[in-house]
Amino acid sequence: MEHEERYYLMMMGALDNELPDADRDELTAHLAGCADCRREWQALLAIDTLFRQTPLLMPVVNFAERTLALLPSSRLRVRALSAVYLILLASGIVPLLLGLFLVGRYAPLLEQPALVERVVTSVVNVGRVAATVVSAVLAGAGRFVVEQPAVVGLMIILAGFVLLWGGVLQRLLAQPAAISVRNRG
Amino acid sequence: MNDEQVWLQKARRGDKNAFGQLIEAYQGPVYNLAYRMLGNAGEAEEAAQEAFIRAYTRLDSYDPAHKFSTWLLSITSNYCIDQIRKRRAVLLSIDEPLPPHPALHSDNNKGPEAQYLAQEREALVQGMLRELPDEYRQAVVLRYWYDMSYEEIAEIQKTTVSAVKSRLFRARRQLAESGMGRSLVPAEVEDEVMV
Repeated sequence: MEHEERYYLMMMGALDNELPDADRDELTAHLAGCADCRREWQALLAIDTLFRQTPLLMPVVNFAERTLALLPSSRLRVRALSAVYLILLASGIVPLLLGLFLVGRYAPLLEQPALVERVVTSVVNVGRVAATVVSAVLAGAGRFVVEQPAVVGLMIILAGFVLLWGGVLQRLLAQPAAISVRNRG
Repeated sequence: MNDEQVWLQKARRGDKNAFGQLIEAYQGPVYNLAYRMLGNAGEAEEAAQEAFIRAYTRLDSYDPAHKFSTWLLSITSNYCIDQIRKRRAVLLSIDEPLPPHPALHSDNNKGPEAQYLAQEREALVQGMLRELPDEYRQAVVLRYWYDMSYEEIAEIQKTTVSAVKSRLFRARRQLAESGMGRSLVPAEVEDEVMV
């Protein structure tokens, strides 16, 4: 109902000590005649009192020391990660700027078709050499897998063990802090 | 310049011990907020630690024009909300009773009856908070335990003052209904009440 909403807003204002005197008088007069609103007001007051009287809870002993011990690695890690990101960014931006500079500087040379043809041929030849090398490596690896399947299988199993125990070790290292926190509960 | 500002300046230059002073000063408020949001002592401690770690690694982004406490509690409450949302992926029984806070067992200044009453009150408060939606709970906790203004709560929740007022309005209505259901209010309504 609209009139209840209005008086309810007044109750909120009263709880926050923001109710003007005129509204306060109006609310008091209304509560004298409305049992439902009176009951709600009493419930609100009870909640307000209960919450205000409930004290601030403190953490267990040595919380500050234990938290302090966790701090430095985080800041160092953040700085290290920031440095890595900056390097990666620079490694992308610097070649781009260099490329733009070179294009701007040597653009007129592109108007010489013979020179362009020689550059393209050189690039193609380099690509062919790289492809030959890669195919030779892959062929060799393929022959190795065919001729030494047991060795390859063992390497795969060892890699799996490393991943598995790496994850287990990580969880074990994380567990003491978690257990000590829960045990204090 | 007060102590906090000195510690902050030193911490921003990498002085870990100065940040340790800040942890000592704010461990109560940060932990309390995490506990009120998460309802579990172990998770609250982890959340509080994570909040301090995040604050330390983001000190460069802290604007001294704003209160440090508001900024720190903002980090804490937003982290707690993220944890609550992750936790929702796991089915939990809503009838599972909450374990009492360890501090309620260890307070030697109180007799057994006082301790029992304190535990009962904590269980009641946490039970009622748990029924609220996350943003309502956040607003209620920041208002009642930290006396934050609507503007400060709006800053933390990244919303408007009117949205905060609306959340508190709805939260209080819900808490009042919950309180009536839990016999927090006597069955006999008084004829005269003071406003």
